[in-house]
Amino acid sequence: MRRFLATVFLWLPLLLFAYSVNAETCLVCHSVMKGKVSTEKGTFIELNIDEGRFSKSVHGGLECTMCHKTFTDNPHGSPAGEVSKNITGLASLISHKVKTDPLAYASCVECHEDIYKSLSESVHGKNIMEKKEKDGPLCLDCHGSPHYIMPASSEESRVNKWKVVHTCGGCHEKKELAEKYNFGTHIIEKYDESFHGKKHKLGHAGAPTCVDCHGAHAIKKWDDPASPVSWENRIATCSKCHEGANKKFVAAITHKPVGKDNPIPFYGEKGLIILTAATLIFVIVHVFLEIYADIRDHVFRKKEEPHE
Amino acid sequence: MNNEKHLEYQRFNLTLRIQHVILMVTFLLLAFTGWSLKYPETSLEHAGWWLRMWGGPKTAGQIHRIAGVTMVLDFLWHCIYIAYALLTGKMKFHPSTTIVPLPKDIMDAVHNINYFIGLSKTKPKFGKFNYIQKFDYWAPFWGMAIIGLSGLVLAFPTKAAVLLPLWSVNWIWELLFVLHSDEALLAITYVFIMHFYSEHLKFKNFPMSMTWITGRIPVEEMKHEHTIEYELEFGKDKGEEK
Repeated sequence: MRRFLATVFLWLPLLLFAYSVNAETCLVCHSVMKGKVSTEKGTFIELNIDEGRFSKSVHGGLECTMCHKTFTDNPHGSPAGEVSKNITGLASLISHKVKTDPLAYASCVECHEDIYKSLSESVHGKNIMEKKEKDGPLCLDCHGSPHYIMPASSEESRVNKWKVVHTCGGCHEKKELAEKYNFGTHIIEKYDESFHGKKHKLGHAGAPTCVDCHGAHAIKKWDDPASPVSWENRIATCSKCHEGANKKFVAAITHKPVGKDNPIPFYGEKGLIILTAATLIFVIVHVFLEIYADIRDHVFRKKEEPHE
Repeated sequence: MNNEKHLEYQRFNLTLRIQHVILMVTFLLLAFTGWSLKYPETSLEHAGWWLRMWGGPKTAGQIHRIAGVTMVLDFLWHCIYIAYALLTGKMKFHPSTTIVPLPKDIMDAVHNINYFIGLSKTKPKFGKFNYIQKFDYWAPFWGMAIIGLSGLVLAFPTKAAVLLPLWSVNWIWELLFVLHSDEALLAITYVFIMHFYSEHLKFKNFPMSMTWITGRIPVEEMKHEHTIEYELEFGKDKGEEK
C-alpha cells in the first residue's frame, strides 16, 4: 500500500506536466540547454532560451506550443494537433526563405492577421511571397528573435525610434540589393546628412525616421501611388509635421546623392569648398607670417620705426 | 608729444558698437548651437555634453533660430543705418576712411606680406580700415546675407516654399543646405583664426583690444596703424609740431 501511494505521488506531477504543457515545462530543459542542433535542411536551431528575457518580452505570457505547433524530425511530437489553413498557407508561401520551421514562423499570423495582410501587400511581402525571392524582410528580420521581441517603444527593440534606421540600413545600405531592386544606393547616407537625420542622430524626438514617412508593414515603393511618399500622397505625409506643405516644399527630400545631373548644387558645393579652402589657406598663411613678423619686430626691431 | 599718448580718437560711435555686440553674441550662440548639427557624429550618442549644455537638441534649435533672426535684424539695422548716414551726409565717402575695398588694398596686402617676409623694409600706410579689417567686415557681411537668407528658408521651409519659383525646387533645397553649413564653417574658422589673432592675440592687443567697448583708439596707435587717416584728421605734421 505504501509503495502504491509512493508511486502515485511520484507520477502525479509528471502526469500533470503531460496534460498541461506550458512554457515552464519546455523551459525546464531549454533554459539550461546550450548549443545548436542541425536540421534535415541543413539549418541550425538554437536550443537555449533565455528565460528572463523571454518572460519580459511582449510574448512572455504565451505558451511555446502556440507557435511551435508541430515538430517534424525531433523528439517532441506534435502537441497542438490540427494547424489552421491560414498558417499552413502562409508557411508554404515563405518556406523558400524560412528554412528552419516555416510553420512556427507563420504562426505570427494567428494573432497578427492585420499586420500579415499589410505585409503581404507591401513591396517587401510581395517580393517574397509573389516573386519568391529570398530578399526582403519578414517579421523576424526587423523585430529580432521571436522569443525576445520587445515593444517598439522599448530601448531594446530593433525597430524603436533610435535603432530603426540602422535596421532598415541592414538591407538598404547593401549595394548588391540596391542594384538588383533598383533602389537608391545612398539612401541611409543621405538621410544621415539631411536635417531630419542629423536631428535624429542628436536625439531630437520630433525628427522622423524611415517609418514615419514611408510606413512600416505596408511599405510600398515610393513611386507606387499607394505609398505615403508618392507624389499623390507626399503633401499629406509631410503635412503631418510641416503644416502648410505644398508641391514645391515636398520636393526637398529625395535621398539621392547630388551628381552632375543636378549641376547647380553639385558645382555649387565644389565652388564653396574651393572658396573655403582658399580663404582658410590665405588666412592661416597670413596669420603665421604676421606672427613671425610681430615677434621679429618685438624682439629685434624694438627701436626702429618701420614707416616710410 | 607726451600729451598725445593719452589722447584717444573716436573710431566707432555707440550705434555701431551696439550693432557689433549684438553681432558677436548672436554669432557665438549660432556657432555653438549649430556646430552639433553640422557634425552630429561628434556630439557623442543622443545627448552629448555639448548639446546638453545648450538644453538638448530641441532647445538648441530654438536658441539657434532666435539668435539667427536677431542677427538678421541686426544686419538690416546696420544696412539701414549706414544708408541713412550716407544719405544725410553724416557719413561721407572718402578713399582714406571707407570700408569699401579699393585697388590700393591689393597693393597694401602685397606690400604688407613683403614686409612680413623681409622683402620690404617698410610697412604700408593704412587708412581707417586696413585690408584685413575690410575683409573682417565684408566676410560677415556676405556671410550674413547668404547664411541669413538660407537660414530663414530652412527655419520657415513651408512659408519659403510658397515664394520659391517652381523651376528651382529640384536644386534649391540641396544648394541651401550646403550653402548654410559650408558658409557657416567658413565664417567660424575665419573669425577664430583671423579676427582672434588681430584683435586678441597680437602683442599690442592682448588680451583684447578695448575699441569694441570704448569705440576709441589711442592717437599714438592711430598714427602707426592708420597713418593715412591720422594725416587726414590731424594734418601731416601735427605730431612734429607739438
